[in-house]
Amino acid sequence: MNETLSADCHRLATRSLEWLQRTHEQGNGLLPPDDDIDVSDPNNAYKPIGEAALAASLVLREKAVLGPAERDRARAVLDFGWQQLRQGELLYERQFRNILLSDPLELYGHFHRSGYRHAPLDELLAGLDALRSTHALEAMANRRLATVNARYVIGLESRPDWDALAKTTWLGERPEPWAIDWITGYNVTHAVFHLTDWGAVPGRLPEPMQDYLALWLPVWVDIWQETGQWDLLGELLIVDACLSESVCDPQSWAQLASVQHEDGLLPRDLDPVDEDPARAFKDNEHTAVVGVLAGTLTLARDRR
Amino acid sequence: MPFADSPQREFAAATEWAAGRALDALTGAEGAALLAAAPEPQAMLAADRVLGPDVFAPGLLTGSPTPPETAARVAEAFLLFPADWSEVHAWRDLATAELLGRAGHDVPVADPPPPPGPDESGWQRWSVLMAQLSGLALPTLDGPVQQLAREHVLALARGASRSMLRRDHRTATRLARWLAWLQSTGTPPLLELRPLLRHLALTGDGSARTALDLAVADRLAAA
Repeated sequence: MNETLSADCHRLATRSLEWLQRTHEQGNGLLPPDDDIDVSDPNNAYKPIGEAALAASLVLREKAVLGPAERDRARAVLDFGWQQLRQGELLYERQFRNILLSDPLELYGHFHRSGYRHAPLDELLAGLDALRSTHALEAMANRRLATVNARYVIGLESRPDWDALAKTTWLGERPEPWAIDWITGYNVTHAVFHLTDWGAVPGRLPEPMQDYLALWLPVWVDIWQETGQWDLLGELLIVDACLSESVCDPQSWAQLASVQHEDGLLPRDLDPVDEDPARAFKDNEHTAVVGVLAGTLTLARDRR
Repeated sequence: MPFADSPQREFAAATEWAAGRALDALTGAEGAALLAAAPEPQAMLAADRVLGPDVFAPGLLTGSPTPPETAARVAEAFLLFPADWSEVHAWRDLATAELLGRAGHDVPVADPPPPPGPDESGWQRWSVLMAQLSGLALPTLDGPVQQLAREHVLALARGASRSMLRRDHRTATRLARWLAWLQSTGTPPLLELRPLLRHLALTGDGSARTALDLAVADRLAAA
């Protein structure tokens, strides 16, 4: 990795993480006070808490990549989320009442990875993992992979057939690379994230899919870079970081780093950033998570 | 009767007419080009100059000889419209001159420098350059440009995919033509050509030149 790319990745990750922590401290990302969380509510902080926890958990997993200040920030982001989730109690209640929902399992996976535990939830999830029902749930292929990888991270007993799951994704078909759209782009990225556990096990991505990505990922990066879809561009660069070797042009990381604002905000696209800080947080918190991961995981791959 | 109110428009319209004639000759269709009045002689010469090697495409792809008067007209166009020495035109001229030579017309052409590869400008820009040279993707033509295509199939396939996603169907068609040429000469094109060409047939830009590129690509892919 050349020094410029390394510097771009470092800056992207550290400033995005700093922005996430600071915006939380400023009162953003708080759950409503009542117990009845509606995850379908777009104004709800439940999903963003999980996304920020994911980014922070991977900064801690890749502990050699960033410095002690960033590790402290990551821990602060996780502590904030865990406190919002009432030390896991909210996840337990939600999973207990809705045994086939996957979001409590997925969110818990991010905290579990970093050492947070809720014993009753562990027991509940182990029991649900033994049900045929939970494994037979109908879902999009990349969503199914998300739950399967969450079980893997938590250390549940079920042993998935990764190759068979991979083949059920859009990517598994190795389709015509020109017949992709924006939302399918996101489906591709998430299939790779979960199959490789965010770059930790690149070999779990079947070789034909690795070869396919080596051919066409640069095309998709070029397209969504040109259209200023920074969030999707960042996700595609995370895909690159999940491969054994980089296949994309370092200039794409430079482009992403160049659009980051002085305060660390990474805009999701070319639209103007809302002047209302609360709105700006909601619009761009996901892209901050993407910035942390694109920088951190690219640097981490280089160290493997 | 001129086609339009300026030489540029007249020459552009003549090029479309001539491309339509070549398309008809290639597909055996009695197309709309025959219904329109033929361009003025000078405009027709300009059209031949623009189409370059593609004037000979029907003959090269169907096996029917190019009419001698057509070859003579292309040779005359070389004298009337000298080369502008741009990289793309120089390579097109060289290919046209070779085909004219086979028809018994020797015309003066420059010996252009070797074309650049994608490593110098990136596969995106390079593929656009190759799209501008798609007229060289014809049976029996071979040289440094075709060799570059053989060496950089991935850059061409990426360029075709990129053009499709950018809705630049003209460039996509021209790059698909290169891929079809590669397939016809034994190099796997990396992209499945049938679905690509089928989709391009529905999304063409409506011009006879693009339709000609597509028809050439179809012929090459079927070879």
